[in-house]
Amino acid sequence: MKNKLSLALMMGYLLPGLVLATDKLEVVTATSDLADFVKAVGGDKVKVVSLSNGSQDPHFIEPRPSMVMQVKKADVLVRIGMDLDLWVQSLIEASRNSKVMYGGPGYLDASRKIEKLEVPTGKIDASMGDIHLYGNPHYWLDPENAKPILGSIVKKLCEMLPSESEYFNKNYEEYLRILDSAIAKWEEEMKPYAGAKIVTYHNSWPYFTKRFRLEIIGCVEPKPGIPPTPSHIVSLVKKIKEEKVKVIIMEPYFNLKVTEKIAKDSGAKVVVLPPSVGGIQGANTYLHLFEYNIGKLAESLQD
Amino acid sequence: MCNHSSVIFILSFFLSSLVSAQEGTKATPLPGMRGTPSNLPDISVIGDITGKVTSDKNDLNRNKILVREIELALQGYIYPEMRADVFLAMHRHGDHFEPEICEAYASFLKIVGGLSLKVGKMHVDFGKINKVHQHERPYVDQPLVLTNFFGNHGLVGEGVSLGYLLPLPFFAQIDASAWRVASEQHHEEGVEEPEEFGLADEVYTTRLWTSFSLGETSELEIGASGASGKGSHYLEHQDEARVFGLDLTYKLWPSAYKRLAFQNEVLHLIRRTPVGELKRWGFYNYLGFQFNKYWDAGLRYDWSENAFPEKGKTNSFSGIITSHLTETTKIRLQYGYNFELNSHEAFLQLVFGIGPHSHPLQ
Repeated sequence: MKNKLSLALMMGYLLPGLVLATDKLEVVTATSDLADFVKAVGGDKVKVVSLSNGSQDPHFIEPRPSMVMQVKKADVLVRIGMDLDLWVQSLIEASRNSKVMYGGPGYLDASRKIEKLEVPTGKIDASMGDIHLYGNPHYWLDPENAKPILGSIVKKLCEMLPSESEYFNKNYEEYLRILDSAIAKWEEEMKPYAGAKIVTYHNSWPYFTKRFRLEIIGCVEPKPGIPPTPSHIVSLVKKIKEEKVKVIIMEPYFNLKVTEKIAKDSGAKVVVLPPSVGGIQGANTYLHLFEYNIGKLAESLQD
Repeated sequence: MCNHSSVIFILSFFLSSLVSAQEGTKATPLPGMRGTPSNLPDISVIGDITGKVTSDKNDLNRNKILVREIELALQGYIYPEMRADVFLAMHRHGDHFEPEICEAYASFLKIVGGLSLKVGKMHVDFGKINKVHQHERPYVDQPLVLTNFFGNHGLVGEGVSLGYLLPLPFFAQIDASAWRVASEQHHEEGVEEPEEFGLADEVYTTRLWTSFSLGETSELEIGASGASGKGSHYLEHQDEARVFGLDLTYKLWPSAYKRLAFQNEVLHLIRRTPVGELKRWGFYNYLGFQFNKYWDAGLRYDWSENAFPEKGKTNSFSGIITSHLTETTKIRLQYGYNFELNSHEAFLQLVFGIGPHSHPLQ
């Protein structure tokens, strides 16, 4: 027995690249939303760790040496891509894990199958603010986009652990069914507010507003990543009044003081919506996140 | 006419292929693969413009706003799991600029197991701050102990560095490196620069770097480093030197944009000369706090003995406030007081960045 154990340990040490049939796939994700998708599809056959949590701004995560260890032991790494999570790169490079390096079997850029919005077509530079070269990266905020993300994840999990393909595909189909009925419910809830004009703090919500037929007429940030100036605030207040905007959406980590001042001067209401799983208590899964956001937004637009 | 039509056709074809390349679904290229046309590396320029006001009338940079350095970075992948990073710089030396290869190295990200390799010219992995480029540091100047033991530009060498990520449940990396460091590499004929000490000739370094996550919001990093070589004026002084260092960094992220950083390094120099052995100490403590996405402030205390036979020590205090416009562009104000010289100094620094610029995990 002892010898068998030693042999198993040796095999585990010598063949770290192989995922044995009885092993769980180790998956590391850049964000908590991706981790939730992996959990949904992978079930108890995967062990998932997210490198960031929902209360953090995914643009600005400081890579920590301890995160290297999560990436080092991962069979699969799932990232947002589109330059939102550039910080992941230094972790991948420090990990010495060929499986999750670009081109490796476990590397997955979840944006691959997404129809991107706001892809710049001309020259871009920092005078335009923090513009992303490959388009607006907040694509998971359209629940329909969860489908291609899940599709990429299930494909990757099946490739990495073929013996569990049936299990992964079953979970995937089941999740899609739940997601479809949830989307139908959310669309129904948002139907009365189609065409409503809103303001957002950062340009994070175009995928969300496109899905639920809302119109963004301005942002608190004059350009992505640029803090609001007094003159911008004055013109935004004027615009909110003119366009009869009821709601200003902001993420929990942005400057509430400035947004509340704009709301007070314009008569609009600030609605704090988490953009990611875990960003607020109760939004612990992707489905709960939308449940919370749709409920909160519909309630605010109704008033 | 026919030629015009052909040109228009070719241009339309070229433009349409550009547009089609941007639409639809595709994965995001990595840093180092993002230039356009698509085979260009990431190209960036970092500028460092610094003004200094000081009560020290002997300071050559007194009451001047000067371009300290312009750095051109070319970064990209050269092979699967292999990248090259080149940083060319124009450094100020007195009243003129000197071109320099600041760093130029190829990284084999994985050789076998946890082993990686870097070869070329680079800032040596010694302690926490030596390997960090000036424009990335949270203050305008270099901690005194690094200047006293490694020179104004820190310890930079040409050679090879092996890194091994130890098979432990926590992060622990050991680096072993061999370098050739030019003696008096920044001294130019006719340019008056204060005498400085550093390591030179064949220099061997090692570093053990470990880090522990103390929950989701804090991290403790501990490192030990060692370097052995000759003195930078060894032809004249016939000296050999060893430097040992310990570093400890604690970071706490109480919320999305807030961060507390407490960084400390202590260095011990042993310099053997024909007339005897010198032993010198030095350290710095830095406490920084980021208030929000755009502002941070810090305090640094420096204490260091010199590396020369006539023993002397300097200690100083600095207060720093920085406004971050973007990830690479910032404006910084720093005040410093030197207790030995009873001198005051203030810096105003603008660091600007154009283009995609990245550094490895530091």
